[in-house]
Amino acid sequence: MSMKGGFKRKSKASEEIPSSSLADIAFLLLIFFMVTTVFPNDQERPIDWTEASAAQKIDEKSKNILNIWVERDGSVYMNDQQFQMEEVSQYIAPRYAQSDRALVISIRGDREVPYRIIDQLQDELVAAGVVRVVFAAQLEQQMQRARR
Amino acid sequence: MSSTADIAFLLLIFFLVTTVFPKDKGLSIVLPEESSEVQVSQKNILHLIIQPTGIVDVKRGESQQVQQMRPSEIEGLWRQEVANNDGLIAAVKTHPDAAYRFMVDVLDALHAANAERISLQVLEN
Repeated sequence: MSMKGGFKRKSKASEEIPSSSLADIAFLLLIFFMVTTVFPNDQERPIDWTEASAAQKIDEKSKNILNIWVERDGSVYMNDQQFQMEEVSQYIAPRYAQSDRALVISIRGDREVPYRIIDQLQDELVAAGVVRVVFAAQLEQQMQRARR
Repeated sequence: MSSTADIAFLLLIFFLVTTVFPKDKGLSIVLPEESSEVQVSQKNILHLIIQPTGIVDVKRGESQQVQQMRPSEIEGLWRQEVANNDGLIAAVKTHPDAAYRFMVDVLDALHAANAERISLQVLEN
């Protein structure tokens, strides 16, 4: 088959993927992850999260947020340690003073835990003098809400 | 110089693996200071009593009339009530045996309706 002019013209573009910019992309991603990474203060406990559609981001630096985990059986964990309910205020009060009253308590309770436990916890927090408390919840989609 | 990219990749993979995006989301409230009791006139209180079944009994101030609702209906109720009385306080009283999530549902509805004066209590007999 004879070739006619205009067809099968050799392209001037290189057939290889340019690899010199690869390192730049890697650096860009690296810087992104370095900036956004927040190393967690404590391990997550196995709880079933509550859901709320009006949940908002906590307006405080993560080092000033103390998580209190309440498991389904009512056991309380802070910073990977188990606590009795009566010990909670003693543990929090000095930390609250140290943080210059900026500490925010994030209550991460299991959805099925009886409210009695959460109420006792609130009493402990009031005794420790804490005022800013967040009931941590996962953001609920409006679609799910409509179906309920 | 050619190893810079390798080091960058190594660090990149390290951060990719260790990154946990924090999910610090929730419903914030301000707890009262210790021993600060405030007297509020009954007509400014909307009682929301959460039963263990998740049903909410709504009582307006002094009236003995009880209206039963689902937590999702509270948002509309609050908007309606606050239009008539802008000093209204929501007193959320949860039964000690009610699941935590029912309280969160009600609190969620109140937050969605931009309620600011909320009091959380446990239901006493």
